[in-house]
Amino acid sequence: MIHAVIVMNTEGKLRLSKFYNYKSPEEQPELIRRVYGALCRRPENVSNFVDSADIFGSGTQLVYKHYATLYFVFVFDNSENELAMLDLIQVFVETLDKCFKNVCEVDIVFNFNKMHAILNEIVFGGQVLETSSDEVMRAVEEITRLEKTSTNPISFVPKSVSGRFGR
Amino acid sequence: MAHSGMRGLSVFISDIRNCRNKELERIRVDKELGHIRTRFKSEKGLSFYEKKKYVWKVLYIYMLGYDVDFGHMETLSLISAPKYGEKQVGYIATSCLLNENCDFLRIVINSVRNDIIGRNETFQCLALTLVGNIGGRDFAESLAPDVQKLLISSSCRPIVRKKAALCLLRLYRKNPDIINIDGWSDTMAQLLDERDFGVLTSVMSLLVSLVSNNTDAYWNCIPKCVKILERLARNQDIPQDYTYYGIPCPWLQVKIMRALQYFPTIEDPNTLKSLLEVLQRIMMGTDVVKNINKNNASHAVLFEALALAMHLDAEKDIMSQCVALLGKFIAVREPNIRYLGLENMTRILLVTDVHDVIKKHQTQIITNLKDPDISIRRRALDLLYGMCDVTNAKDIVEELLQYLNEADFAMREELALKVAILAEKFAPDLSWYVDVVLQLIDKAGDFVSDDIWHRVVQFVTNNEDLQPYAAAKAKEYLNKHVLHETMVKVSAYLLGEHGHLLSRRPGCSPKEIFAIINEKLPTVSTETIAIILSTYAKILTHTQPPEPELQDQIWSIFKKYEGYINVEIQQRAVEYLALSKKGVSLTDILAEMPKFPERKSALLKKTEDTESDTAEQSALRLRTQQKASDALVVTDQRTANGEIKAGQLSPVKLPNQNMNVNSEEQTTTNGALDTVDLDPTLSTDLIGDLLAIEGPPSISVPTEQTPVSGLDQETDLIGALALSTVDEQSNSIKPIGDIEEWFQALCIKDSGVLYEDIYIQIGLKADWRAHQGRIILFIGNKSTSSLTSVQALVLPPSYLKMDLSLLPSTIPPRAQVQCCLDVINICPSRDTSVLDFSYRYGSVMIEAKLRLPVVLNKFLQPISISPDDFFSQWKSLSEPPLKVQEVVKGVKTLSLPEMARLLSSVQLRVTPGLDTNPNNLVASSTFHSESIHAMLCLLRIETDPSDRTQIRMTVASGDPTLTFELKEFIKEKLIIIPNARPVPSPTSLQTQNPVLPAASNDDPGAMLAGLL
Repeated sequence: MIHAVIVMNTEGKLRLSKFYNYKSPEEQPELIRRVYGALCRRPENVSNFVDSADIFGSGTQLVYKHYATLYFVFVFDNSENELAMLDLIQVFVETLDKCFKNVCEVDIVFNFNKMHAILNEIVFGGQVLETSSDEVMRAVEEITRLEKTSTNPISFVPKSVSGRFGR
Repeated sequence: MAHSGMRGLSVFISDIRNCRNKELERIRVDKELGHIRTRFKSEKGLSFYEKKKYVWKVLYIYMLGYDVDFGHMETLSLISAPKYGEKQVGYIATSCLLNENCDFLRIVINSVRNDIIGRNETFQCLALTLVGNIGGRDFAESLAPDVQKLLISSSCRPIVRKKAALCLLRLYRKNPDIINIDGWSDTMAQLLDERDFGVLTSVMSLLVSLVSNNTDAYWNCIPKCVKILERLARNQDIPQDYTYYGIPCPWLQVKIMRALQYFPTIEDPNTLKSLLEVLQRIMMGTDVVKNINKNNASHAVLFEALALAMHLDAEKDIMSQCVALLGKFIAVREPNIRYLGLENMTRILLVTDVHDVIKKHQTQIITNLKDPDISIRRRALDLLYGMCDVTNAKDIVEELLQYLNEADFAMREELALKVAILAEKFAPDLSWYVDVVLQLIDKAGDFVSDDIWHRVVQFVTNNEDLQPYAAAKAKEYLNKHVLHETMVKVSAYLLGEHGHLLSRRPGCSPKEIFAIINEKLPTVSTETIAIILSTYAKILTHTQPPEPELQDQIWSIFKKYEGYINVEIQQRAVEYLALSKKGVSLTDILAEMPKFPERKSALLKKTEDTESDTAEQSALRLRTQQKASDALVVTDQRTANGEIKAGQLSPVKLPNQNMNVNSEEQTTTNGALDTVDLDPTLSTDLIGDLLAIEGPPSISVPTEQTPVSGLDQETDLIGALALSTVDEQSNSIKPIGDIEEWFQALCIKDSGVLYEDIYIQIGLKADWRAHQGRIILFIGNKSTSSLTSVQALVLPPSYLKMDLSLLPSTIPPRAQVQCCLDVINICPSRDTSVLDFSYRYGSVMIEAKLRLPVVLNKFLQPISISPDDFFSQWKSLSEPPLKVQEVVKGVKTLSLPEMARLLSSVQLRVTPGLDTNPNNLVASSTFHSESIHAMLCLLRIETDPSDRTQIRMTVASGDPTLTFELKEFIKEKLIIIPNARPVPSPTSLQTQNPVLPAASNDDPGAMLAGLL
């Protein structure tokens, strides 16, 4: 199963984390820190796999993808296929891209609530739920529609506005 | 931003982003949490919208790594909100913040169930997601039938059904009884006819989970699985949505092949034939292409096909095709494929005999050992380790030894262990084995555990032919200028035992050997000194007739160590001196060590132990592991018959052993009784016993060491000092920080660090409910080697019942273990309980006595009380011992708000305005204990604005002990204690000395005073 999904930037700032095996609030930052420690040392053009037995326990490994300023990380055990996990990251990112029209870090920072909703349509309780990004998009659009119909909609922060916050 | 529903959230996130450093971020977060807490607490009901906004913020703060210990009720209440947006955050936040063991969850089971059985599909999805993410046993029992219904319902939309399938999987894992296998296998087979690929993928995951638990029941699913796989592999009517970079739903293909790996065999010949055809097609039709995503997807399928083929032990030609493909993969540029190629090559080695084919790739594999990617280097190391046998052991081990010089720090330990194991398993001759291990110690001494050099000693002792060679090698290494201490140990030992065999060689006379060892003596640790002293005794034994000059030199060294501060060394020196003066009879007593009983290598045993399996292991890996452990036993002929029973493993106690051993044994037991407990199955411990080189020097001083905090140590300052200098090793391990400070912080907080040194960190998290509490200790090994003999002992004071859960005695490198301590408070007391914690790092024993933050205020619960209630209670508790008053001097100069904060921090609720005199503070709280249940406590502090160093304090409660203890407790908090020792200062002992003038009668303050 998938143990965790982590999105962080290249400076180690966490943008999204979801643990499918409960981790206490004390453990979480430490795990994130160690994942970052393992990733930031890795040069470009190496494999996407990192042994994470010393972080998440024996039999686990993590696969990550590095997009611009972001790391997308899936931690999983040996019941999953490594490359399939890598593909799933791609599905997740492609979905975000469709959602935010060329997704960038700022979108993710300000719409972290949306991120949770999207991830929930892809990974469910540590299992792959949906692999078609079009199908995920349909579900997410429905959620957005529902949010809007309830009186106080959560809409995306438009880029023009979020940009003003600067980094 | 007006159109954004949650402006507050965006502004908050933006504020956090603008924080220049962590400190500013913390301030901003604290401010926000304070605000949210007030809003949640305020009596005026919050609207669902406001709650929604705050819960998102809480979730964001939680993600930033701050513990948020409130707001759970508000979050849960959103689950039953009528609107989608609010319900959604309720569900999402609950699944992030709470875990399955959280009692709160029971509250919402009904709301969740209502959403699941309700007609609103989006609500069903939210509810299923929550259950699927955190559902525990409670959920499993109450919700499983409803979830099953959704999965098989024909009226539900796919989006609900695929979630129901995975939700059921989760519940099934928590409680397999929820699925009645009899009827369910048919249902599963029907579900495999599903047309929607999303649902089908989820159903396949469910099948994997079911089959991994019970293969027998789901045979009927095999043909359907193969059919679907065929359809996918041939790309027959696959919807565009599910074609990923041209590959028909790779995830589903992978899942099907995973499921098939759980069945031991596929018996139906037609099904097997179709399956093999599909596998063949996949293997033939996959090429490395330019598009990286397409590559990944197609190879995900390919590697799964390889795994399935290996599992089926397919016909020879498919297998050789697999190996050929893998050989291609380990040479490609694309690192992911190379990585998986190496990994799968290691796996294939374990299922079929393809050693010879794989050996052809040896050079290529060694090249991968130099890849810039550590992940690939590790896989290459694993593969080299796996493919090593008698024929290529020399090449591979030498390659690895060479690689040791340049290997990453993180890999060296593993590498050293692997070299040692391979050398032992496949040594073409024993002298080569000795060479390799000595080189290993020389190059990577820090990473060579005692097991490894002990094993060399065993081999040499048991093989007479080897002894002169080993002794000569040892001497060669001792000639080197810079030497790892482990090398000094092993060389000194070997030369002591076998040095005399070299006596005819030039430069190897007893005198010369003594001189060369003696050069190292001033620089080594006590553990090594002990070995060297034994060596000297042996040298004397073997020098017959005695050489007076040498004898004098050695005797003078023994004499020097007779007064040595370490007891073990002292005893050895005294005994060896006395023994060596006995003349010829010495030869019998200090004769050579007898042969060790043949036993299984501790190293090999260790490697097998670490290969423990996880619940989710695929069938293939399970099988490969079985084969792997068989392989270890069979190929290692020396150890195969070396398994001996525990009874035989106690030669130290046999009467026919020579005197040397006996005296050593005595030494050991004199030092400490602990050594008797050594695990008899581990040969290394036995050597430790025999030679008394391992345990005693550090165990021999098991009393309080330096990490002892405050009280205990200072009571016997001289004693403690003397002790701490005795054992240099323990003394060198100091806590990183101040134990007392950690303790004090934990008295107020419920989580934090209890203890930390360079090897270990003990974190603590406590949860208090009335008179009960649960403390969880998180014991983390920070080092890269295992901590052993981990022990925790709590001696509860009489006022507490404490129950400490079992603690594993070994903590693997970089691992954390948890230990749970349940506490019940029986009656009020200010005593503290002490946790006796000890562990061993290498041969160093570290002990710490840690006060546990189970203090009086943990059982207090602040309570607000109306003036009427307060005064009626205050009046009814009219005199000592229920109400006592004391004038306390030497108080810390605190402003009133500071004092109020201090009181709140120990759970006393200060009620402003209750006492009209602004210089006074009145507070109330409830104390919980088993003997007196919940008991109201009242407190009044009168301060003198002209003299902040004295106060008058009145404490009242319905129990005399509680009143007294609480008074003393608060006093300790308020007065200045030199060295932070919680001992009442003498000045505070003056009591009943009113200093404050009485005020007029209608003043409540005067009422309070007058009532005394």
